[in-house]
Amino acid sequence: MAPKTPQSNFSGPVVVDPVTRIEGHLRIDATVENGKIVDVRSSSQLFRGLEIILKGRDPRDAQHFTQRACGVCTYVHALCSTRAVDNAVKVKIPKNATIMRNLVMGSQYLHDHLVHFYHLHALDWVNVANALQADPVKTAALSNSLSPNRKETADQFKAVQTKVKALVDSGKLGIFTNAYFLGEKKNEAYYLPAEADLMAVKHYLDALHMQVKAARAMAIFGAKNPHTQFTVVGGVTNYDALKPDRIAEYKALTDEVIAFIKDFYIPDLLAVASFYKDWAGIGGTSNFISFGEFPTDEYNLDSRFFAPGVIMKRDLAKVASMDQKKIEEHVKHSWYVGDKAHHPYNGVTEPKYTKLEDKDRYSWMKAPRYNGEACETGPLATVLVAFAKGHKPTVDAVKFVLNYLKVDASALFSTLGRTAARGIECLVTANQMQVWLDALVGNVKGGDTELYTPWKMPNEAEGVGFVQAPRGALSHWIKIKKGKIENFQLVVPSTWSLGPRCAAGKLGPVEEALMGTPIFDPHRPVEILRTVHSFDPCIACGVHVLDAKTGKTSSFKVL
Amino acid sequence: MTDSQKRILVLGVGNILFTDEGIGVSAADQIMSRYELSDNVTVMDGGTLGTRLMDPMMNCDLVIVIDAVLGDGPAGSIYRLTGEDLRKSLAFKDSMHQTDLVDTLIMCEIVGTRPEAVIIGMEPLDYHTLNVGISDVAKERQEALIGFVLEEVVKAGGSYSLKANPSSITQEREPCA
Repeated sequence: MAPKTPQSNFSGPVVVDPVTRIEGHLRIDATVENGKIVDVRSSSQLFRGLEIILKGRDPRDAQHFTQRACGVCTYVHALCSTRAVDNAVKVKIPKNATIMRNLVMGSQYLHDHLVHFYHLHALDWVNVANALQADPVKTAALSNSLSPNRKETADQFKAVQTKVKALVDSGKLGIFTNAYFLGEKKNEAYYLPAEADLMAVKHYLDALHMQVKAARAMAIFGAKNPHTQFTVVGGVTNYDALKPDRIAEYKALTDEVIAFIKDFYIPDLLAVASFYKDWAGIGGTSNFISFGEFPTDEYNLDSRFFAPGVIMKRDLAKVASMDQKKIEEHVKHSWYVGDKAHHPYNGVTEPKYTKLEDKDRYSWMKAPRYNGEACETGPLATVLVAFAKGHKPTVDAVKFVLNYLKVDASALFSTLGRTAARGIECLVTANQMQVWLDALVGNVKGGDTELYTPWKMPNEAEGVGFVQAPRGALSHWIKIKKGKIENFQLVVPSTWSLGPRCAAGKLGPVEEALMGTPIFDPHRPVEILRTVHSFDPCIACGVHVLDAKTGKTSSFKVL
Repeated sequence: MTDSQKRILVLGVGNILFTDEGIGVSAADQIMSRYELSDNVTVMDGGTLGTRLMDPMMNCDLVIVIDAVLGDGPAGSIYRLTGEDLRKSLAFKDSMHQTDLVDTLIMCEIVGTRPEAVIIGMEPLDYHTLNVGISDVAKERQEALIGFVLEEVVKAGGSYSLKANPSSITQEREPCA
């Protein structure tokens, strides 16, 4: 029989604080009864107040500040702010500008998903210490059986073992600290064969090389390394990127990354998933929202390569179109004044901290709701909407994955499904990038090098930018008065997926997903990390300043 | 640039949205706008990026990081840190980011090339308040901070001169019809 996630009869509280290997500070406070989570709160420990410093500034400058909110998603915020102002001033940007924005976003998808799988999520499934027990010859045979393009040798795997051993001996475990496979006793919740562990560790290292190339590709079109600086209201400014040698350089790097995704990321994902198939029954949610991404016409959300849409109660037969008027942010269980839900245009950010252990108001995140319902966002939402709408490349990729794992579509509603969907989104995007690149090259050859449309700042206007970031649905909402920012609100992916309860007391998606999760070892609750990490939390933008009142400042003391 | 020359990366890091957390980025911006540096020196605004800084870091022999540093001195104190002391710098602490700079250096080492690293940093007055622009204390000490960075550049084999016409630091604005 295939190994299964072990069960326990532990009862008591389990707190993970902070959740590491994420961007930002997240605390998960769970109550476990007889080995399963029966109550849980997802609490973001950082206050958000970016809106406050944007007031009164030039709308064109919003992107320079919003992109500094996060150490990962700089471009997605820059793009979202730019789209919001594009929308407010009603400028129609040239075709090439749209393609250029798509290509950089495509690179961001490849980079982020690769890094997430290998460097942020893999350690929840892969036991690095156990890799030392593996037989390098068998490991090479296993790895090469997964893709005809792999030509790995036992010597290479042996060298990785030596490297890992040196790392362990030197105590420079920095990158693996807080991994729940560490400890005197082996954590039985990890049950990959040693050879699969070793294979994954080698590819963890290879992927480090590869993400460097993905980041470099992004920088070629992104104009300023490492912060992109090419989006402007009305289009883009990277005229340099229209030169054949720049395009060739971008293509060479991207092709290499795409080959790695096809020959390594996807086969590794499937191999690891095939050992952890019981996770196809753990960690699911009910409702999903995607804004869709990669437009051909910036003014038509439905022109996006991945279509926008909303799915309720897992009903794939009914995909509703996304109506922005149905979005509201709740604060009843958050550290803000009052309990009124607001549409983002009328959003208010007035902090009011209670205390860390408060079960009623317990997060700095607001709780976004669509038509009153909590909705998961991110790759799973995007893939489900595209799949349900019959988007052929997505349907093909989903079917391939389901067939490989011998599971049906219901398996998508799980932690495993969420992790698989990230790979699917990455693969489908990778395959489409060549199409955009060809279109760009064709336009340039035909003499169309237009990247920017002039426009005029209105005295008063409002606008919204929708981006489906690698982490999910991101929107920036701007109100302009006398040519300056009157109000600016960000509704970020991680508040959708990781926010707290709403006014109606409905659980946030990650809370819903964690209910019923088995906990084997309360001191090393890797099961919580598997589900939380599968959402790819990135909450530095959701909230930011470390709050002195929580007493958590100790982490900043001099060592 | 000859092969024997050290490739030097001057990397300003931190978050410009939080007052003195922007000390490093602000100093890097000043250097970029006012100084001409020899070909073996690159100046960069690293923000709070983690693994995405690996490419530039692996392509240099020495990285001079400019950052806010929590030492024991009064605000405005300037420090030079190497080796084990790196973690006193904000960007090198177990930060709020998925990978801090020490991890990034370790990753560079695992993948093959880890540059030497030195930090020239300043004690912040306030790195909590959401505010664009560094504190008055940090502003007063900025010239001294830049002086130490340039000294470090020279020590490593780079050179610099003042630009005749300093370029503007403010972001270039698109034309607005």
